[in-house]
Amino acid sequence: MKRAALLAVAAISYIAAAWMVAPGFYDGFLPPAPYNWTCPPPQAGANNKPSSGHLDVKVTAGASEPDSVFTDDGQVVMGFLPGAFDVTGKTSISVDITPLDTCPTPAGILLVTNVYKISATAPLVKDSNLVIRYSNLMQDPSTVYFATDPSGPWKSIPVAQQSQPYTLDTSTKDFGYYAAGLPRGSSSSTPATAGTTQLLPVVVAALVIVVVLAGLPLALIRRRRGAGAESDEDADEEEEDDPTRI
Amino acid sequence: MISAVSSRAGVRAAVLGAYVLLVEVTRALVMNAQYAAVPALILGGLALAVAAVGWPAARLGLGTSGLALRVVGGCALGVVLLLPTAVRAGAAPVLPMSLAVAAIAVSVGEELAFRGALYAALDELGGARLAVLGSTALWTAAHALSHPAAFLPAVAAAGLLLGLWRWACRDLVGPIIAHVIADLAL
Repeated sequence: MKRAALLAVAAISYIAAAWMVAPGFYDGFLPPAPYNWTCPPPQAGANNKPSSGHLDVKVTAGASEPDSVFTDDGQVVMGFLPGAFDVTGKTSISVDITPLDTCPTPAGILLVTNVYKISATAPLVKDSNLVIRYSNLMQDPSTVYFATDPSGPWKSIPVAQQSQPYTLDTSTKDFGYYAAGLPRGSSSSTPATAGTTQLLPVVVAALVIVVVLAGLPLALIRRRRGAGAESDEDADEEEEDDPTRI
Repeated sequence: MISAVSSRAGVRAAVLGAYVLLVEVTRALVMNAQYAAVPALILGGLALAVAAVGWPAARLGLGTSGLALRVVGGCALGVVLLLPTAVRAGAAPVLPMSLAVAAIAVSVGEELAFRGALYAALDELGGARLAVLGSTALWTAAHALSHPAAFLPAVAAAGLLLGLWRWACRDLVGPIIAHVIADLAL
């Protein structure tokens, strides 16, 4: 009884402590910072407008220097290798990332991030690394989409292995409009809130059912078995090692 | 006290504690590097599991008797760990499936290290009370780098709950299952 009471107190203490911080206990992956939406989904709550980013790439000895441009909220990062730009006639190159203030809904594609316009005053001659962060409030995107005009057409770009949670990495030589998304009708492009906000209560409910349906009969069987042989249960701490104490 | 610490059991507990802390701190630091999150979690989990090598399964709480009850107990612990988040489902980050293997590796490794080997070493040194409180304190300290300070009370309370289960039921299967469930869901 003493052990059960201590466990109950510990469980209540945990629930109280975890209630004060969302999402409570977690391990390994930090909860992502809130995504700044152009068009926030209903479950987003308070929202800040997404940021833009600007970079002036220096040209030294006839080649552009390595550098990276990123939005102030870190939702898009683009890295350039040395000599990434065609620098003919340039002494520096200006690069801008600007979130589009509308949210295109191209046919057959579900975009799950803002659309960003990435532009520069010189074209790229080398592949550059593009990282797009996405939110945990929508489905996980499977690819990065690119278009030269927000009205389309949008084409899918292969993504590299995920380097950080909640990001997609790709490489490109093109400037234009970028967003992360997935094909509509794919198994994970079900309505927006189903994958995120309702899964956890279902998991917990299923676990409760397992515990009740399997645990009670098991506990009763064990109690009946132990009733004959049990002698002194409360000499707990000094018992010799018995892995069957459960 | 001094003689206890300088005993063989004391040295073993100290070395184990230092090793586990070192692995956790290294994992937390390496995870910040680009492309390093998943490898750091998997390798960190494996390195933590090494702490349990050489201990008899029974001392780690890994017996097979009453396995069904241990599994059900793990599910019950999992419910407790997830309950606050499930009630406020809108606050729940859902782990991308691609990171599931890493989450499993690190949760199993942490349980083998903290509630398995470290618990056994501290139990040998100073009994169940030291084992529960000591493993919880080190568990909390090990998460200080990877978690914001506001989360540490919840981390400590989770460690205490799992440690008390380890003591009360002499079982590590339940904490492993609960930890895996919590890491996969969060």
